[in-house]
Amino acid sequence: MEERKHTSSHYEMELQEIKNNLIYLGALTENVIRLAMKSLTDRDTQMANKVIANDYEIDKMDKEIEEKCIKMLALRQPTAIDLRFITTAIKITGHLERIGDMAVNIAEKVVQLNEEPKLKPYIDLPHMSDMVEKMVAKALDSLIKRDLQIADEVRKIEQQVDDLNEQIFRELLTFMMEDSKSIHRALLIMHVSKNLERIADHAQGIADMVTYMITGENVRHLSTDAK
Amino acid sequence: MKKNLFYKIFFSYLVIIGISFFLLDLFMRDEIKAVLTSQIETELLSYAQLIDQTSPEKASEHLKQIAQTSKSRITLIDVKGRVFVDSEKEAALLENHFNRPEVQEARLRGTGKSVRYSDSLRIDMLYIAVAMKDGQHIKGYIRLARPLHDVQSIIEKVYQYMLLTIGVVAVISLLIALFFSYRLYEPIKTMEQFTEKLRQGEPVGTIILDTADETKTLADNINYLVDELKHKIRIANEEKSKLMTAFTSMNEGVLIMNEQGLIEFSSPVLSNMLAIQYDDVIGKTLIEAFRSIDLQKAFREFKEKRVNLSREIVFGSPEKVILRVSISGIHGHPDEEKTMIVFHDVTRLKKLEQIRMDFVANVTHEIKTPLTAIIGYLETIQGGAINNIEETKKFIDIILKQAERLNRLVEDLLTISNIEMKQTVLNFESVNLRPAVNNMISLIEVKAGLKKINVRNNVNDNFPPIEADRDRLTQIFVNILDNAVKFTPDGGEIDITAAESESYAVISIQDSGIGVPKDEMGRLGERFYRVDKSRSRDLGGTGLGLSIVKHLMIAHGGRMEIQSQLGKGTTVLLYFPWEDVNKKS
Repeated sequence: MEERKHTSSHYEMELQEIKNNLIYLGALTENVIRLAMKSLTDRDTQMANKVIANDYEIDKMDKEIEEKCIKMLALRQPTAIDLRFITTAIKITGHLERIGDMAVNIAEKVVQLNEEPKLKPYIDLPHMSDMVEKMVAKALDSLIKRDLQIADEVRKIEQQVDDLNEQIFRELLTFMMEDSKSIHRALLIMHVSKNLERIADHAQGIADMVTYMITGENVRHLSTDAK
Repeated sequence: MKKNLFYKIFFSYLVIIGISFFLLDLFMRDEIKAVLTSQIETELLSYAQLIDQTSPEKASEHLKQIAQTSKSRITLIDVKGRVFVDSEKEAALLENHFNRPEVQEARLRGTGKSVRYSDSLRIDMLYIAVAMKDGQHIKGYIRLARPLHDVQSIIEKVYQYMLLTIGVVAVISLLIALFFSYRLYEPIKTMEQFTEKLRQGEPVGTIILDTADETKTLADNINYLVDELKHKIRIANEEKSKLMTAFTSMNEGVLIMNEQGLIEFSSPVLSNMLAIQYDDVIGKTLIEAFRSIDLQKAFREFKEKRVNLSREIVFGSPEKVILRVSISGIHGHPDEEKTMIVFHDVTRLKKLEQIRMDFVANVTHEIKTPLTAIIGYLETIQGGAINNIEETKKFIDIILKQAERLNRLVEDLLTISNIEMKQTVLNFESVNLRPAVNNMISLIEVKAGLKKINVRNNVNDNFPPIEADRDRLTQIFVNILDNAVKFTPDGGEIDITAAESESYAVISIQDSGIGVPKDEMGRLGERFYRVDKSRSRDLGGTGLGLSIVKHLMIAHGGRMEIQSQLGKGTTVLLYFPWEDVNKKS
C-alpha cells in the first residue's frame, strides 16, 4: 500500500515536472516575443541579437520536454486525461518552439531594419504585438488553469490579429507604391507582421490543444472543415 | 455500548449461578437420596420388628392395618420362600420369594434390604426383609416393600425450591447488572460524547460527573487535557492572527511553498502587488503561478545552494512591477523544508531613482545645449567676426534666442519648484469657461493655423464658472494646447469640451495626434520626460510643459489625467473642483 502510494505520487510529480517545464518554456517564448518587439520599437539591435542568441535555450527546453513526455508514455502508460495531457504537451511544446523561432525571425528583421532610417512610426504593429502577446499569455493561462473559457478567448483574438495583419499589409503596399526606396524596409516590416500573425496561429493551436486536453474533443481545423 | 456492558455483567452473574447450581446438584442429589432412603429403611425395619414380636396369627390379622400405617406392602414368607400372607395380593398366586436379594441377605444377617425397580408399579421400590427367628432357627421372613416416590417427591421439592431461588437470584442479579452497568455506563457515555464533540471541533465546556470513583478521576483528567488543549489552540490562533496581521499590514508580500514546491500560502499584499487571485495561486507551482523565468531561476538556485538569496525581478503583467524577491528556508522537520519568499515592491524606488538620474542628465543637457551655442557664437565673434557687422548681428540674434531659451527653461524650472514648495499663491476667481477657452485658443491660433489644425471650443455658454487662477489657467491651457498642436499631424483636430461631474468640472482637450505608447503613459508629467526625445526637442519644448500642468492642477486642488491611444490621439482631462468642494478642502 505504502509502496503504491509512493509510486503514484512519483508519477504525479513527473506529470507536474512536465507541466512546469512546459510553462517555463511558455514563459521563455513570452519573453522572447516581448523582447523582439521591443527591439523593433526601440530600434535596439543589441536586444535583437540577444533574442537570436538565446533561441538555443528554447530549443533545449523543447527537446527536454519531448523526451520526458515520450519516457512517460513508454514507462508509465498514462490513461485518460493524463494521456491527453502528455500527447498535447508534445504538441504544445512544438507550438512554443515554433513561436520562439518566429520571434528570432522578427529579431533578424529588426537587425536589418535598424541599418536603415525609420520608415514610419509604428502604431499598428505594437498594437498587434500586444494582442499576440495577450493570446500567448491566455493560451498558457488556459493550460495552467485548465480553463476552456480562456481558451475560447484566444480564438476570439485570433481573428482580430488576422484583420490587423491585412491592414498593415495594405498600408505598407501604399508606402511601396509611393516610394520605391521604402520597398526593402516595408518588406521587412511585412515579414515582422506576418511572423506575428503566425505566432497568433500557434497560440490558437495551443488553445485548441488545451481544449482537447480538457474535453477530449478535437476542435482543430473546425473552421477549415466548415469552409 | 450500554447493552454491551449490561450483558457482560448480567451473563457473568448467570454463569456463576449456573455453576453453583451444577455443583449443588452434583454433591447433594445422592446425599439427599441416601439420607431419605435410610430413614425409610429404619422406619420399615421398626415395623418389621413390631410384626416379628407379635404372634403370626395376630400379625396376619392386623397385617392390612399395619400395611396401611406404614404405607408399605407387607409379605410374610416361610423359611422355604413361600408366601403365606400378603397385604395386597392373594398369597397363593405369588411366586417363591426365596431368591430375592433382601431375603437372602436376611437369611444370612438377620435383616436385608434391596432397592429395585418394580416393573409392575414402574417405580423404585425399597424392600426390607427381617428373619423371624425361633431361637436359633429361622422360621420365616417378614418383608416390607415401599415405593420410593416419597424420596422422589422430596427431591423434586428441593429442586423446585432451588430453581425458585435461582430465579430470584437471577432477577436480583439482573437488577444489579442493570444498576451497575447504568452506573458505569453513564459517566463513560458522558465522556464519550464529550470527547467526540471535542474531536469534531465543537465548543465544549467541562464534564461534570456526580460519581466519586475512577471515572471521576478520568473525567477530571479529560477536563484538564481539554483546558490545556484550548489554551494551546488559543495561543496558536493568536500566533496565527498575529502573523496574518503582520503579513497583511507590512508592505512586503509573502509566499510560502511546501516541500513539494507547491504554494501553500500567499499574503493578500502579494495579490495586490501582482494582481493575482489567491485561489489561482494556492496549490500551484511557482512557474504556474507567476510564469516568471527569473523567479523560477532564483528559486531553483536557492533549492540547489540552500543559501538565502535576494534578487530584483521584473514582473510584467499587467503593469511592469519591479520586486525585490528574497528566498529563504523555513526550517521545520529535517526532511521537509518549506520555503518562504518575500516580495518587496521597489518599483517606485527604482522609478524615483530613474527620475532623479534623468533629471540631472536632462537639466545638464538642456542647459548645456543653448550654452554651447552661445559660447560658440561668442567665440566666433571674438575671433574676428565682430568686424563683419552683418554676420555679428545674425550671431547676436542667435545668441539672444538661445539665451531666451535658457531663460525660459530656468523660468519653467522655477515655476515648478515654486509650486512644489507651495510658494505660489493662487488668486482664485470665478472663470467663465467658454470665453476663457476662446482666449486661450487665440494664443495658439497662429501655430495651429500653420499646420491647418482645427481647434474647436465645444464648451457650453452656460457652463457654470469654475474657481481658478486666471493666469495659471492660461498657463495650463497653453502648455496642453501647445503639446496638442505639436504632436498632431497637419490637418488634424483639437476639441475642447467640458462636463460636470459631482465634485469636479472636467475639461477635456482631445487631439487627433500620434498618441502615447502604453508603457510611456506613467512617465508623462515627469520633468524633462519626453516620449520621443529627438522629435520633441526639435519642436522647441523644454520637457517641462506637462510637469507644470500637473503641478498647477494639484495646486488648484484638482488633477490631470491623460488617456491616449497610439495613432488615434491623446485626451488630457483636467479636473477642477467646484467652489464649495475647494473650500471644504
